[in-house]
Amino acid sequence: MADRIFSGLLLLVSIGYGVMAFTVIKAPFQYDPLGPESWPRILSVVSALCCLGLLARPDTERLDLTGKTSTRLVVLLVLLAAYAALFEPLGFVIATLLFCAVLARILGATMGHAMIFGVATGILGFGVGAMILELNLPAGPLRALM
Amino acid sequence: MTDVLSGLEAGFAVALLPLNLALVMGGCFVGTLIGALPGIGPINGVAILLPIAYGLGLPPESALILLAGIYYGAEYGGRISSILLNVPGDAGAVMTTLDGNPMAKRGEAGRALSLSAVASFCGGTAAVILMTLFGPLLASFAVKFNPSNYVALMVFAFASLASLVGKNPIKTLLGAVIGLMLATIGIDANTGVARYDFGVPDLLAGIDFLVVVIGLFGMAELIHLVEQQVTGKFTILPIGKSFVSMADLMATKWTILRSSLIGFFIGVLPGTGASVASAVAYGTEKRLASDGDTFGTGNPKGLAAPEAANNAAAGGAMVPMLTLGIPGSGTTAILLGALLLFNVTPGPMMFQTRPEIAWGLIASMYIGNVALLVINLPLVGLFARMLTIPQRYLIPLIAVLAFIGVYSVVGNPFDLFMIIGLGIFGWVLRKLHFSLAPIILGFVLGGLFEDNLRRALSISGGDWSILVADANSLVLYTLALLVVAVPLVLSRRKRMALDTEA
Amino acid sequence: MKMLKAAAALLLSTTLAGQVLAADIDHPECIAPAKPGGGFDLTCRVAQQGLMDTFGKPLQVTFMPGGIGAVAISQFNTTRTDDPNAIVAFSSGSLLNMATGKYGEWTEKDVRFLATAGADFGAAVVQGDSPFQSLDALMEAIKADPQAVVVGAGGSVGSQDWMKAALLFKSVGQDPRKMRYVAFDGGGDAIAGLMGGSIQLYMGDVGEMVAHMGTNVMRVLAVMSSDRLGPPFADIPTTKELGYPDAEWTILRGYYMGKNVSDEAYNAWVAAFEKAYADPAFAALQKDKGLMPLNMAGDELVASVKTRVEKMRAIAMEAGLIK
Repeated sequence: MADRIFSGLLLLVSIGYGVMAFTVIKAPFQYDPLGPESWPRILSVVSALCCLGLLARPDTERLDLTGKTSTRLVVLLVLLAAYAALFEPLGFVIATLLFCAVLARILGATMGHAMIFGVATGILGFGVGAMILELNLPAGPLRALM
Repeated sequence: MTDVLSGLEAGFAVALLPLNLALVMGGCFVGTLIGALPGIGPINGVAILLPIAYGLGLPPESALILLAGIYYGAEYGGRISSILLNVPGDAGAVMTTLDGNPMAKRGEAGRALSLSAVASFCGGTAAVILMTLFGPLLASFAVKFNPSNYVALMVFAFASLASLVGKNPIKTLLGAVIGLMLATIGIDANTGVARYDFGVPDLLAGIDFLVVVIGLFGMAELIHLVEQQVTGKFTILPIGKSFVSMADLMATKWTILRSSLIGFFIGVLPGTGASVASAVAYGTEKRLASDGDTFGTGNPKGLAAPEAANNAAAGGAMVPMLTLGIPGSGTTAILLGALLLFNVTPGPMMFQTRPEIAWGLIASMYIGNVALLVINLPLVGLFARMLTIPQRYLIPLIAVLAFIGVYSVVGNPFDLFMIIGLGIFGWVLRKLHFSLAPIILGFVLGGLFEDNLRRALSISGGDWSILVADANSLVLYTLALLVVAVPLVLSRRKRMALDTEA
Repeated sequence: MKMLKAAAALLLSTTLAGQVLAADIDHPECIAPAKPGGGFDLTCRVAQQGLMDTFGKPLQVTFMPGGIGAVAISQFNTTRTDDPNAIVAFSSGSLLNMATGKYGEWTEKDVRFLATAGADFGAAVVQGDSPFQSLDALMEAIKADPQAVVVGAGGSVGSQDWMKAALLFKSVGQDPRKMRYVAFDGGGDAIAGLMGGSIQLYMGDVGEMVAHMGTNVMRVLAVMSSDRLGPPFADIPTTKELGYPDAEWTILRGYYMGKNVSDEAYNAWVAAFEKAYADPAFAALQKDKGLMPLNMAGDELVASVKTRVEKMRAIAMEAGLIK
């Protein structure tokens, strides 16, 4: 079933992709006979055929996800999205501190250990990454301190 | 030949000065650390450290030796997180995950790390030797490699990758097509028309390769680890004190040699680098190996092949830069910029006007490879200990490293969301038993294939016969045919032999 | 560990030396919105070396390839509109894209033009042993048959690299749509294509040719300028003197910043450039990179860009590139 749902969805994507290739994509003029549209056209057809093949002969039945696992994964994704959203506004140190502490706590670390881990990762990560290796990391509000 | 020897002698005199020796060692060490960070590879390492190297006020040959050390070090370091975490350290280390990580999961992290260090050393050293002997000759061959030859090379690459077909060929093909489709996003290089950007400016340039790799591999691995932790499937990895054995080396020697050659030649060509080289080497070795069916489950040959190839490619990429002044890859373009920064113009004249720089740099590559082996082997135990970090800390750390890698290279928070989205996609694909490697390879090879095909057809004015018009292409098509056909013939012959015995 | 400490100490000292400018320019960066090796790379190198004294360290050059600069301009209109550290290299090609709407909603009004690096001119380049040893010979061949030579350059159709070829074709009355044009991914790949014989004519910039002057590998047939350039290009004829005055292409190279950059940071950068312009070393640097001195910063540049873009828009309209 899982394979069928997945290939069904991918088939829709392929059709959308193909429709764009056959209708929207066009150059005012071009020097090669293929143009920007031929390659995507071929890909959309191959992809759609593969999806149909998979619909006909799926081999993975279920994703084996329990309710508890799905909840945990949703929490993980929310945390990751929050980390990405706060990465620039809060800066690397604070965003990383929060993300690491909360995730470590959820994954079973004690409150104290999670906090220490968060603080250490935030500060050491920035120290090594931005100061020593000169990587481009956002300083955020802490910029004033530097 | 005497020119080469005397040049090399003078070069070693420069490279063996205590300061330069210290710089190459230091560069290799820092480079290994940078390369070990997921996502940050040689190109970023060199770009980031160039201002520092310049700021130190070193003489040009010393600064270049430092940068070359960082370049090589980063290429070595890429394998570490591939093997230990299943997260490629950089673009060239994607194939390293396929057999490296299963070895680590079996408790052979030390063996995998040390074997790959030796393979890297052999690849790197073979590349420098070939460069010393045939550099200028190869460079003139490389520029003659025209768009239709690239098309043939891509056909060869796909043919050698046909060996990656897993249990379900449709899933493998679909994976490759997904990769090819992802590669069409963004502005078309020929006509300047935007494709599949949906009005999002961040998509105009297409999706960065790094973002695809970190997303599909790194973030998917992260989600997978969390899932395993919840379901209690996760078991603490055994950390044996394993190390590469003489038997391992004997078993992989031909793999390493062939992969070094493949990697070097692909590296010399402008436009193709470590990622294409390691993919082709892996595919070819899987085809040729008698135990090819165990590739992907922790076969040492499957680990040695991409590592020898990507380091050889790193060396090969230096050839057109040094001899012709044409950068064959992003990293060598930055090294070229560094040369210009020191008022050194690369090209054939450099060997006459500034021999201390040209030969000093080449000599430092010999030394750098030895230095990397010496630095890396003792550290194997230390790196392997990374696996003993408890999951509750390791999982957040992987996310942080992935974010650092993507943000510091691309500098755009949009891509942080991209890796999360691709991570979910990659995790679903894994659950459905898709192999991720074909997607990555489709993505790498797709753009090269389409652009060069259309370039070739523009050159010929639409005449398709240009694709088979010269010897280079024909040789590559023949090789492609062989790489597909030979294993079939061999296995049939084996079967027939078994039948007659019975 | 010692190594890291030593590196940290070194870094600290270089950072301290850099704090002569306004406090918020602590990490000066030049963004080349292309892959390494082409004209944007060169533009950034000029800033990297020319402003070294002011900042105490070379600018970090970052490559942001894709969309012939569209990605950079959109990033500087979305996430980095007020980044005081970063300047972005532009050329008249970028202005052309703004004029023709290639950057979508972003136009010349959405960035803050800062300063120029200098000017450059289009160049028609062939292999050293090409059958076309003069521009006239080449133009004869094109006039007789627009498909006679394969033209290559580092940009797609409608880019300024293509425009240079189109202008050449138009000056002998040929339709640019009839040429054989190959779009490479940047100047580096196109030069490799020329050296390898995939293309017979490369439409590049004179500045890129510095490293190849005096070798017999490549030959610059003409510079697309109205006046002769100084050494090392003094021997190359111009398109104007050869009788093709319309085939002229000046490449303005410079830098812009995000439109919301503080006046303090903007003025600090302008001052840094004006200081560099006054230094004879900067002129030497420009010459070294094959750039002609054309020094404008601040308001003077903003005004100049405005008239240039309007002119380009008119030409593009005439050529049918925009409706």
